[in-house]
Amino acid sequence: MGLKAYMNDIVEAVVTTAKGMRITARYGVDPKEEVTLQYPEERWEIPEGYRGFLHNDIKTCTACTMCVRVCPIDCISLESVRGADKKMVLASYDINIGRCMYCGLCVEVCPPKSLKHTSGYEMASVARGELTLHFIAEDAAEIKARVARQVAEAAAKEAEAKAAAEASKPAGVEPKPAKEEEKKPE
Amino acid sequence: MEALAISLVNAVPQLAAVPLWVVTLLLMVVVAAVILVFALTFEGVGSLVLRKVAGDIQARIGPNRVGPNGMLQFLADGVKLVLKEDLIPANADRLLFKLAPYFAFVGSFAAFVVVPFGVGLIAADLNIGIYYVMAVTSLVVIGVLLAGWSSNNKWALLGGMRAAAQIVSYEIPVGMALIPAVLIAGSLSLQDIVRSQGGLLGIFGWNLFHNPFTFFSFFLYFTAAQAETNQTPFDLPEAESELVSGYNVEYSGIRFGLFFLSEFGDMFIVAALLTACFLGGWNIPFFNAATLPWIWGNLLSLGVFLTKAFTMVLIMMWVRWTLPRLRVDQLMRMSWKYLVPLTFVNLLGVSLWLLVFQGKGIPGMIASLFG
Repeated sequence: MGLKAYMNDIVEAVVTTAKGMRITARYGVDPKEEVTLQYPEERWEIPEGYRGFLHNDIKTCTACTMCVRVCPIDCISLESVRGADKKMVLASYDINIGRCMYCGLCVEVCPPKSLKHTSGYEMASVARGELTLHFIAEDAAEIKARVARQVAEAAAKEAEAKAAAEASKPAGVEPKPAKEEEKKPE
Repeated sequence: MEALAISLVNAVPQLAAVPLWVVTLLLMVVVAAVILVFALTFEGVGSLVLRKVAGDIQARIGPNRVGPNGMLQFLADGVKLVLKEDLIPANADRLLFKLAPYFAFVGSFAAFVVVPFGVGLIAADLNIGIYYVMAVTSLVVIGVLLAGWSSNNKWALLGGMRAAAQIVSYEIPVGMALIPAVLIAGSLSLQDIVRSQGGLLGIFGWNLFHNPFTFFSFFLYFTAAQAETNQTPFDLPEAESELVSGYNVEYSGIRFGLFFLSEFGDMFIVAALLTACFLGGWNIPFFNAATLPWIWGNLLSLGVFLTKAFTMVLIMMWVRWTLPRLRVDQLMRMSWKYLVPLTFVNLLGVSLWLLVFQGKGIPGMIASLFG
């Protein structure tokens, strides 16, 4: 290494150091350069169409089980019973959000559009199994019992109505419609 | 210290009954405690400032949770370090492992003894001040090497070896870059060096502006000292990205804290030496602090000294967060091929300058032209 290259090395070291220090000084002096977001106090704006936690509006949910069937990792579980008005009544609707991979297939497939992504993304628990969203607060067994009672009541009422109708009707009428009505409240 | 004890006994007659050596010993303990408190406070606040500066430079915020604007972060860190369990690895050399942090801390703390804080504020004005600093800060190498060896960990060992190689290499340019100040003052005592930069020239009396060679030796010392204290462009002994944390990887709790404190202590020592040897120390421009009443003169000169020293510390932090780390071979090449020859040439230049111009600097010659 000649003397010229040696001197060039020294000059280059000094010049590049000064250059770097000028850049860092600019960042150090200008407070507007700070990009840190103070998370619990400040948050990013959630973009449109963000796939956060799932939310099921159980009032419009028809318990069709499409979401359960489409879910690739089986994180949605659903229990339902047929109610007195022949519609399905949800007994429980749970989403294991700790397992959910936010693919959005269940939202795509939902016929009444009751299942939606929200913008929520914060949840914590000490055990993995506790990361489950429950959409029905009542106990599933209770709901089943209540629905069964309603169904039984409705059946009893219908039977009474039928008995009354039969009593008031003159004999010799075809028994066919009566049979159908008997079948209905299964 | 004994002279101070005698004057104290003269001032307070009740103390005459106590043997002089007891008074002297007590005074020594008090002075040591004062310096320790200063050193610990500096090290605590320094760590906070370091992180704040790092945050600013890297477009972050830095610590801001503990206290107003994160001001009390260093207290939280200190409490955490004290409360943490002091772990010793199963296969470590227990005695050396326990001993190593004390070597490192004593090495950096003992150097505070000769730092000239003010006109009369110096724990011991040794007539071999600079020599003493160079000697006693070398203890840090032993501490670091012991820590690396006794941890029985490959990263720690590599870090310790690197530290030893690095500090021993850079000791030479550090010493050679400080000698110009010694030559100009004609004394190794730091107080004499500071006094030699006073006088009527103001800031042009500083060794920094004495002649071109001293101007260069300021920067040479700055660079070499940055390496000697294992600061970032030369922080190979720590090198988080390759050695995890280097020599202190197995340490926790208060022993880790001692390494940490010694690092910041070294930083202040370097800043203090830069100030004392090149930036006029506690001299107030165009003003002789020694003529003031004792307390005001000392307070004023202490303020001036600390302002300069803390500015140097800030610049060191600035460099620290600017430059990327060197490779081992680059580090060694920088020391042996660049800094060592340059400091020797520089020393030769200063010596010749002093010989040819009878010890006068450029500002002095200009001043004498105008009478």
